Amino acid sequence: MNRRHLHVACAALLALMCAQPQPALAYLKFGVPANGRQVTLKWAQTPVRYFISTQSAAAGVNASEFQAAVARAFATWEAVPSSSISYQLAGITAATPGRDDGLSVLGFLNRPDLDRVLASTSFLVDRVTGALVESDIFFNASFIWSVDSAGAANRFDLESIALHEIGHLSGLGHSALGETELREGGGRRVLGAEAVMFPIAFAAGSIAGRTLKADDIAGISDLYPAADFEGSTGSMSGTVTKNGQPVFGAHVVAFDPAKGSLVGSFTLNAQGQFSINGLSPGPHIVRVEPIDDAEVDSFFDANGVDTDFRVAFSDRVVVVPRGGDSGPVTVTVVRK
Amino acid sequence: MRTLILSLCAVALALPARATVLIPADLGELAHDALAIARGRVAAVDAQWTEDRGTIETIVTLEVEGYLKGALGSTVRFRTPGGELGRFRSIVVGAPEFAVGQRIIVFLGARGPSVPHVLGLSQGVFRIARAADNSGWVVMPPTLWPATAGDVRVVRGETSRRPVRLDDFEQRIRVLAGGAK
Repeated sequence: MNRRHLHVACAALLALMCAQPQPALAYLKFGVPANGRQVTLKWAQTPVRYFISTQSAAAGVNASEFQAAVARAFATWEAVPSSSISYQLAGITAATPGRDDGLSVLGFLNRPDLDRVLASTSFLVDRVTGALVESDIFFNASFIWSVDSAGAANRFDLESIALHEIGHLSGLGHSALGETELREGGGRRVLGAEAVMFPIAFAAGSIAGRTLKADDIAGISDLYPAADFEGSTGSMSGTVTKNGQPVFGAHVVAFDPAKGSLVGSFTLNAQGQFSINGLSPGPHIVRVEPIDDAEVDSFFDANGVDTDFRVAFSDRVVVVPRGGDSGPVTVTVVRK
Repeated sequence: MRTLILSLCAVALALPARATVLIPADLGELAHDALAIARGRVAAVDAQWTEDRGTIETIVTLEVEGYLKGALGSTVRFRTPGGELGRFRSIVVGAPEFAVGQRIIVFLGARGPSVPHVLGLSQGVFRIARAADNSGWVVMPPTLWPATAGDVRVVRGETSRRPVRLDDFEQRIRVLAGGAK
């Protein structure tokens, strides 16, 4: 590592340690078993055709406002230049989201029983072929919503939540690139997020979730790459170990100090390996941390996940080549 | 039921589907809101059509070892969205998944005369596991206890945040639930 890179690394490390919010995780893709093999959950054909339910009005939002807000959210994902994903409104339907009818439907449902769920995405998957048959998004009409361009106090921003859920509909899982705090009066709130796919909502009134971040862009581009995606970006792969043993469920974050962007992944096999695609070429700093501040189940099955280690960094700056992989990166963590 | 399996390939991590925007709850809120809080072992996981036959849901049967709040009998059944029936798998992302034999603590809610549901989806489930040093049982994931002296920023990797011993967890939950047992 030359002196310039060392300076960059030191500055970035300092930024990483001091930044508010503290950076964390990365994008995930869904996978399903089908006929004895593992299949990445994604649409085989684009544009993805979706329907708007006639149940598309709720407190704070009428049907046309709902359709317009959802359309803006779809357009935001479509506008990612390194991704080929596209969507098409197929029509208005009397069907409701959450029914296994072969249609991908977005709309409101009144679900007071899901008292802490603003919205949710569901999939119907063919277990034999692994094909994604449909994906619905329901927004919980038990909450008060807003489509105001600047947001509205005490109302949840429909476009922000739709952007998150459409990420899921497209095949993206949750990102942990966010930070929260516990409130003295009870509850927990988001301080900041570096991914739309962070699973916990900003407080009512915020519109911070309308803009995709580097992690979201890398994820959607990895799933639906545009022609120049692989050639114009790079990847990083490696292993996380503790006491010489692989670590399962560690967060691995790649920080590009030149762009100030964060993209990452998790170690999710018995070898403690990770792989991150869609990185900007150039030097990156790698940070590894446990998922010990959230419901692990929100990301993946908690069984076997190791959260008993301290935050650690790679001992060198990792250079990601354009159109290639960094070569193996090993990060060693220690117990708390 | 482990409906989705992890994989790692050269270009992608493929993961189980969890995908919901949540309003986060702390344990005090969950304990307060719960109709019942049960510790037990999962005895059965059965997918079925919902009453309106619109989609698939899963009924989880829990052999109850004890209640931290309320009481719903020695065996309690609760529902969670999604499941596998025939050729198709319905995945309601954000919904917890269960496997026969798992020991869990589950915060249950119900509206009217219905099969209870898990409060806050994955927020209302805690897994009981052997401590790393085999000294007993701990609750996973590490717990975020309610803040009592000002707002508290949650920092990953903090050395004080470890899996909580099962008996400590239960004692504190009982207090949060108002002493109900």
